[in-house]
Amino acid sequence: MATPAERQKSNQLGPEFQYDLTELRKVDPGLVHYEQSARVATGMQEPRGIAVAADGRVLVAGDTLVRAFDGAGKAVAEFVAPRPPQAIAVGPGGTIFVAAKDRVETFDAAGKRLAAWEPLGEKAYLTSIAAGEKDVFAADAGGRCVLRYDPSGRVVTRIAGKVDEKGAGGFLIPSPYFDVALGPDAALWIVNPGMRRVECYTYDGQFERAWGKASPRIEGFCGCCNPVHIALMADGSLVTSEKGLARVKVYRPSGMLASVVAPPSAFAEGTAGLDLAVDAAGRILVLDPRERAVRMFVRKKA
Amino acid sequence: MSEPENAKVKRRDLIRKGALATGLLGVGGTAALLATRAGKDRYVWQLDPEKCIQCGNCATKCVLRPSAVKVVHAFALCGYCDLCFGYFPPHFEPDSAIEEPAAESQLCPTQAINRKWVEGPHFEYTIDEDLCIGCGKCVKGCGNFGNGSLFLQTRHNRCVNCNECAIAIACPAQAWRRVPAGHPYLLKGEDRQT
Ligand code: SF4
Ligand code: SF4
Ligand code: SF4
Repeated sequence: MATPAERQKSNQLGPEFQYDLTELRKVDPGLVHYEQSARVATGMQEPRGIAVAADGRVLVAGDTLVRAFDGAGKAVAEFVAPRPPQAIAVGPGGTIFVAAKDRVETFDAAGKRLAAWEPLGEKAYLTSIAAGEKDVFAADAGGRCVLRYDPSGRVVTRIAGKVDEKGAGGFLIPSPYFDVALGPDAALWIVNPGMRRVECYTYDGQFERAWGKASPRIEGFCGCCNPVHIALMADGSLVTSEKGLARVKVYRPSGMLASVVAPPSAFAEGTAGLDLAVDAAGRILVLDPRERAVRMFVRKKA
Repeated sequence: MSEPENAKVKRRDLIRKGALATGLLGVGGTAALLATRAGKDRYVWQLDPEKCIQCGNCATKCVLRPSAVKVVHAFALCGYCDLCFGYFPPHFEPDSAIEEPAAESQLCPTQAINRKWVEGPHFEYTIDEDLCIGCGKCVKGCGNFGNGSLFLQTRHNRCVNCNECAIAIACPAQAWRRVPAGHPYLLKGEDRQT
C-alpha cells in the first residue's frame, strides 16, 4: 500500500484537489489541560460502550460481551451479552443496563442476566443508555427519541425533543450517534447532533436550554453531526467527543469551553465513536475503537 | 413531549425513497444497455468503493479526459445534512443556514455538486457528471465527517472498457476488478449487489 506522500506525488492533481485537515488538527497546547495516564487494551474487536460502576470497576461492552476492569486496568470479570451491545450504563444500585439494537437487557453486578425489556420494533436503533436512581433513559436513533423507563422496564415517556407547533425541530440524527447522559440536579442531557448542540431536559422531557455552535474552531462542534458522545463530571461539566475531527473537550454547564482533554493529534485519522465515562477520581475514560482500548486522561499537574 | 416522529421526517423519507429510486433507474438502465451491448457473459471494469482510498489516480490515469470515473451518491445513506462536509470545505464556518453558497465556500474545485433545499435543515446533493472529474475530494469529506454516501464509480455510459484499465494498473488499493456487464456497479449500502 502506497504511503500518503507517494499517493500525493503520483496523482498529479493540483493543490486545490487535495483534502487536508493538517491545520484543523492543530490545537493551542495551552488549552490541553489533560494528559493520558493509562491505556487498557479491551481485548475486543469492536468495543462500543463504556461505563463506570459505583464500586470503581470500568465496564466495557462490545462484540458480544461485557468485560469489567478494576481501576488499575486489570480484567476482573466478564459475561456474555445475548445480543451485540451498543451501549452500557450502571445504576447507583449496581444493576448493569445493556442497550442492544432494539431492547434493553439488565444484569446484576456479577453479570447474572435479570431481564430483557420489551423489544422496541424494527425501526429502533439504541445508541446510548443512562441510569439514575429510579429512571433509565435510552436514546433511540432510529425512532429519533429518548425513552424514559421505570425500574421495571416500562416506557414512561418518549421524549421527542423540542418540537414546534408545526411539528418542526426535534432531534436530527444524520448518522448513528445519539447520546444521552444524566447530570447533577436531575438534568437530562441529550445530544442533538444534526444541530451540533447539546440540550438539557427535565426527566419529564421538558426542554430547558441548549448550547453548542457549529464550527471547526476548538470551541465549536465540527462537521455535519457532532458531538457523538457526552459524559458528565461531578460538578456538572460536560465531556464531549467528536468524529471527523476526533477530539475530546470539557465544557462548563453553561457551554463555555473549559479544557481540551485530547486534541485530534491524539487519535488516528478516521477515528469515530469515542464513548466516554468519568470515574470518581475525575479521570476521563475514552473508549477508542481504533485502538480497541480504554484511554485514561487526568488533569496535568500545574 | 410525547410525539416520537414529526411530519418533516416522514416527508424527507418519501423524498429520500424517490431519489433513491431515480438513482437506481439510471444505474439499472445502463446495466441493461451494457448487458445487451456487451453480451450477457461479458465483463466490464469497476472499482470497489469499500477498497478505494481516493488517491486521485481515478481523475488522472483514465484514457478519457475528463475521466470516466465520477462520484455517485447513495441517497439512502445520506443524512441530507445542512452542513454537508462533502460539499463544504472542512474549515467552513457557518454563520447561518446558507442557501446558495459562493463558489469559494464549496469543497469541489469544479463545482460539480449541486445543493437543493428540501425542507427545514435538510438539503439534497446531486452530481453534475459533466463537471465531475472523479478526483474523490468530496468522497474524503463525506467519509470523514458524514456517512460515506458519496463514492466513486466508473460510469458505463462513458467508460470504453479498455482491455487493461489504465486506472486499475495505477490503483494503489487494488480496488478495480471486472464485474458482469449485467451488474456493472459496486454500490454502497443496501444497493450493493455483489
Ligand atoms: S485509483 Fe484506486 S484508490 Fe485511487 S481513487 Fe481510483 S479506485 Fe480509489
Ligand atoms: S470533488 Fe472531485 S469527485 Fe467530488 S464532485 Fe468534485 S470533481 Fe467530482
Ligand atoms: S476502462 Fe478505460 S475508460 Fe474505463 S475507467 Fe478504465 S481507463 Fe477509463
